[in-house]
Amino acid sequence: MRSLPIAVTLGEPAGIGPELVGLAWRESRVRALSAFYCLGDAAFLRNRLAAAGIDLPLVTIDSPLAAAEAFPAGLPVLQLRTAVRTGRAGQPCVADAGSVLESIERGVAAVGDGQARAIVTAPVHKETLYDAGFAFPGHTEFLGQLTRDWPGGGQPPVMMLAAEELRVVPVTVHVPLKDVPGYLSTGLILHTGRTVAKAMASRFAIAAPRLAVCGLNPHAGEGGRLGAEEREVIGPAIEALRADGLDVSGPHPGDSLFHPAARAKFDVALAMYHDQALIPIKTIAFDTAVNVTLGLPLVRTSPDHGTALALAGTGRASPHSFIAALRLADRLSSR
Amino acid sequence: MSPRIALVMGDPAGIGPELMAKLLAETPALNEAAILVLGDRRVLAEGERVAGVALKLDVVPETKARPSPGRLTMIDTANADPAEMPTGKVSSLAGRSALDNFTRALGLARDGTIDAITFVPFNKEALRSGGNAFEDELSYAANYFGATSRHGEFNVVDRLWNARVTSHVPLREVADLITEERLIDRLELTTEAMRAAGFDAPRIAVAALNPHAGDGGAFGREDIDVIAPAVAKARRLGIEVDGPFPSDTVFVRARDGHYDAVLTMYHDQGQIAIKLLGFDRGVTVLAGLPVPIATPAHGTAFDIAGKGLANPEPTRRAFEIACRMAQRASSRQ
Repeated sequence: MRSLPIAVTLGEPAGIGPELVGLAWRESRVRALSAFYCLGDAAFLRNRLAAAGIDLPLVTIDSPLAAAEAFPAGLPVLQLRTAVRTGRAGQPCVADAGSVLESIERGVAAVGDGQARAIVTAPVHKETLYDAGFAFPGHTEFLGQLTRDWPGGGQPPVMMLAAEELRVVPVTVHVPLKDVPGYLSTGLILHTGRTVAKAMASRFAIAAPRLAVCGLNPHAGEGGRLGAEEREVIGPAIEALRADGLDVSGPHPGDSLFHPAARAKFDVALAMYHDQALIPIKTIAFDTAVNVTLGLPLVRTSPDHGTALALAGTGRASPHSFIAALRLADRLSSR
Repeated sequence: MSPRIALVMGDPAGIGPELMAKLLAETPALNEAAILVLGDRRVLAEGERVAGVALKLDVVPETKARPSPGRLTMIDTANADPAEMPTGKVSSLAGRSALDNFTRALGLARDGTIDAITFVPFNKEALRSGGNAFEDELSYAANYFGATSRHGEFNVVDRLWNARVTSHVPLREVADLITEERLIDRLELTTEAMRAAGFDAPRIAVAALNPHAGDGGAFGREDIDVIAPAVAKARRLGIEVDGPFPSDTVFVRARDGHYDAVLTMYHDQGQIAIKLLGFDRGVTVLAGLPVPIATPAHGTAFDIAGKGLANPEPTRRAFEIACRMAQRASSRQ
């Protein structure tokens, strides 16, 4: 398994993804990164990296199996069938959606075929994909669809944000804040908790993970005075997870859970909505947090930032989160 | 003229007495302000014992209270016998005494005897059982003054201020409470309060309501339909404000010096970040009332009360902010 490479997608060509792949390769020796390869368009990559002042050799490969051998000499690139047509830095174009999606599809297929051991995805620009007819809310749901028929597939995926200091899972993700209470259900929290507990054991080698569950409302509802969801929705989910034999605490006030002393008491926190998870992890680990998708039948990580269109083409984007994503994918797929 | 600050004893059973004793034993406090202490002399004496300091105080009757710089003047409110209030326990006696101290300070502010108030922590439960029928100290004080002008609570860590549009309401009610009128009101209050605290032109970042600020409308419309127009309008009114910014990075931007304040839309949005940025340095400011009030952000910490372990830094910082705000208040008169 270890000799297999990690598949890296190109992401939005107009964003910083292409540069991050190049910067990560340049640091790969110093940081002892395992071999990876990029599913991209070699001509486009060469131009973008040169324009951004990121100097490195590219090695064109025709199979992921050639990546490990090629890796020390240059960034291995597996040529996509769909060329990047425009790829102007900072200006996403619907014409390039095809190459973005092909990169993801082929990365997943490589893992499915046993030619790669994990996938790291660079950020996509969702609006462009939607304009091109992409029918999924985001990357994660698309990956769920692509792996639906795999052994262990077909489960709703769960997004985790992981850094050295904190792991946190938002139970609802890309949902307008006003709709969060409507989406939140005992069943959803239960599914999320179970998926997390299973992945903690199978991927993170924490056999008996301690889960801490946030409340939805200020002060976790303050005994019902500031909201009923803690008693009616979240509490029963915690009870059911405990009935599974899991170590679960909560519901905790969201603002009481993330200082160092509180973090020492759990392995992973379940937040009820996107920003309840993202605010603490970004504040604690601004550019080293990684997005991990749990519940998929493959290892997938990604940096926890977006396409950063304004920075694209400058060569100044920080590759920290991307490198952290590569490292974590490596670790989670080495077992 | 030195700012005249009322230092109000909070809950006698918590860490308040030792914090006040520690603060009063420091010379900078004495040099910065004319201090008037309000509390039971016996409670403060207990605080001195725990803190290992001995204070020299002029105890005067309330009618003759004229604080002056360089000395400590105290009104002995004689309302709390430490023997009747065991350390670390919630009691209505303790709550009643704290509320009495606070009320007297509000009265002195109304009479023009003092310019600002700093209190050491109250215990909300004790206050309630001791007679506070209001949600919190801010509502109590607002009611005392019959305040109709805008007022509100701020969390301050180092130089960063946080104001919020909604606070103690269920999350499901938040979106409906986000209106242009409320946003402008909070932005104006923030600007006024921070000017009073010494920021000439405070730069405010507004946090978005939805994930990724709604991501072009895909994850909610309020950021586009309500918040962005309110920000534009506030700028036309001369307020230095930008946003809405995705709330997961807005505090990082502000911390790195790009903004002086963040306006958040709901309780946890601000509280999670602000507690991570400096839980051990946090100050709560109540602004917009006839008297500025600053207090350490932490509570009574019953678990460590009486042990001399309490960190006086937030109290010190609250006192400094009160001094700054008082100076502005008195120079306007």
